[in-house]
Amino acid sequence: MFRKTLILTLLAALLAACAPAPSTPVVDSAPTDAAATEAVATEAATESAAYLVTSDGLGREVTLAAPAERVVSLAPSTTEILFAVGAGAQVVGRDEFSDYPAEAAAIESVGGSMGEYSVETIVALEPDLVLAAEINTPELVSQLEELGLTVFYVNNPTTIEEMYGSLENVAALTGHDASELIDALKARVAAVDEKIAPISARPSVFYEIDASDPAKPYTYGPGTFGNLLIERAGGYNIGSEAADMYPQLSLEQIVVTNPSIILLGDSMWGVTPESVLTREGWGEIEAVKSSQVFPIDDNLISRPGPRLVDGLEALAKILHPGLFP
Amino acid sequence: MKKPFLSSLLVLLIALILSLAIGSVFISPAEMWKILRGMGEAKFAFIIWNIRLPRTVLVALTGAALSGSGAAYQGLFRNPLADPFLIGVASGAGLGAVIAMSIQWPYSFWGLMAIPMAAFIAALLTVFIVYFLARVGQTVPTSNLILAGVAFSSFATSLTSFLMLRSTSEVRRALGWLLGGASQTGWTAILAMLPYVLIGLGILVFFGYRLNLLQFGDDQAQQMGLNVTRTKTLLLIASSLATAAAVAFSGIIGFIGLIVPHLMRMWFGADYRQLIPLSILGGATALLISDILARVVLAPQEIPVGIITALVGAPFFLWVLRRVKNQGYW
Repeated sequence: MFRKTLILTLLAALLAACAPAPSTPVVDSAPTDAAATEAVATEAATESAAYLVTSDGLGREVTLAAPAERVVSLAPSTTEILFAVGAGAQVVGRDEFSDYPAEAAAIESVGGSMGEYSVETIVALEPDLVLAAEINTPELVSQLEELGLTVFYVNNPTTIEEMYGSLENVAALTGHDASELIDALKARVAAVDEKIAPISARPSVFYEIDASDPAKPYTYGPGTFGNLLIERAGGYNIGSEAADMYPQLSLEQIVVTNPSIILLGDSMWGVTPESVLTREGWGEIEAVKSSQVFPIDDNLISRPGPRLVDGLEALAKILHPGLFP
Repeated sequence: MKKPFLSSLLVLLIALILSLAIGSVFISPAEMWKILRGMGEAKFAFIIWNIRLPRTVLVALTGAALSGSGAAYQGLFRNPLADPFLIGVASGAGLGAVIAMSIQWPYSFWGLMAIPMAAFIAALLTVFIVYFLARVGQTVPTSNLILAGVAFSSFATSLTSFLMLRSTSEVRRALGWLLGGASQTGWTAILAMLPYVLIGLGILVFFGYRLNLLQFGDDQAQQMGLNVTRTKTLLLIASSLATAAAVAFSGIIGFIGLIVPHLMRMWFGADYRQLIPLSILGGATALLISDILARVVLAPQEIPVGIITALVGAPFFLWVLRRVKNQGYW
């Protein structure tokens, strides 16, 4: 008998957990709301003809009545895109990690380390557009949306060409034209492609993201920009055959694969080529024997913005110094 | 502290007001007063009613659920180290949440509810499994429950770690959840968890006398006319419901469920008829204060509240422990 009650209770609990939330908008909860909602969601509320209707990376339809004048950027990549398309002056808030270009530092921070953003700071900035990226959770997007803000979620591109799409989207949202920028980037990528095309051998590359444990460093696996750019720059990424996106390779694997070049994405944390040359057990690796260990700015490789092209050029120069004098 | 309820309520009230008043955006007391009368500036009113108030309610409910259940668990297991996560609610919820996160849900209401729902169901399922693993005939020996719970928790935790290792892309999200930060905010979360917390804590409040009897030991309590197995099971269900609902929406927040009942016990005595409601009030207060700190210490950066509870709670607890004159409080 008792067991039956228990099971029934749990079943009831499950059902109740599935009960949908009230269908009324969450903002209608206090007397002052009507005014406040209007104040925050000015553009969205007015019935005027839309300036732009587009779908974002989460498949949501985003409508703007006019080009966004006040933008909050929640990721370093979206901040870089905003500045690149000429919308830097419209950015009123940025996440804690947005450090490029240097002007971004002067913009008010809305938090972001450990994934925690100050939602009330975002709301207080009264943005007419919030740009989110894949490092932001869908929960955050829905929370901002429920508060009446317009959020555009920028997908991670899977190729350099897809990145141009992000530039176009952000340019359109902020009332700018990215075609010149994109043409210039395309020309630079084409120049690299052209020089790389005739190569006969692809140097094998180990790209170090983190080697806090030098016996098991992290690297870029398939599906990452690091992997993409190394291949595009005419190299072979030894992490490309791993199962995960950010695999940990054992030192044994690295010694066996024997890369001829080591790139230090962790150089911004103070790891130097000299320190790698003296690491225990690393002496057998070709790159270490021939001192082919180079620091690289990981921000050029990991942020899905226009600087990926800078990253491509930097990689090509290291991998094929003869072709890029 | 002659009137424990009055003083606890008063402190809770202060914490509630502070939680509404303090945040990364400065709102002056004068402005607050205007907003409360419906005449404040729209922007600030919006922040108070739609961001701070739901968060304050969510945090208070979570703290109440964790501490109330913690007090009940300590009485049920007659073990000062018991907390509401002892037999697997947290590790089960964590496993459920991480499994749900490893699936790409479409961006929709149900896609977003998938994670708290999975956490809630997995938490209850874990307690359920542990309960039946620990059963011996018609009784459920306390030590069996603890052992089965601890073993099963370790299993679930390692499975969680393994899954997190495999799906590197969701680690940020999972970590944020496991460290205890309100990922879901707004009234939806509150409405979804409220019934479980109310039912769970409601049952616990009425079980104060029976918890007192349980302190004599199972046999003695049985002789005094208490249906021990039934009482224990109901206590487990009530605590688990409240805790699972809290954890599903607020993530895993440690330490509150352990220390608040002890603080209340040190200050006001071990009578469970008082201890349970006092722990509920105290838990709400303690988590509110932790959450305020989490918001202001590095503003505008917010810290997962689970870090604050132990960072600030542990030294405070030790300070009280040293000062308390009646060392035989347990």
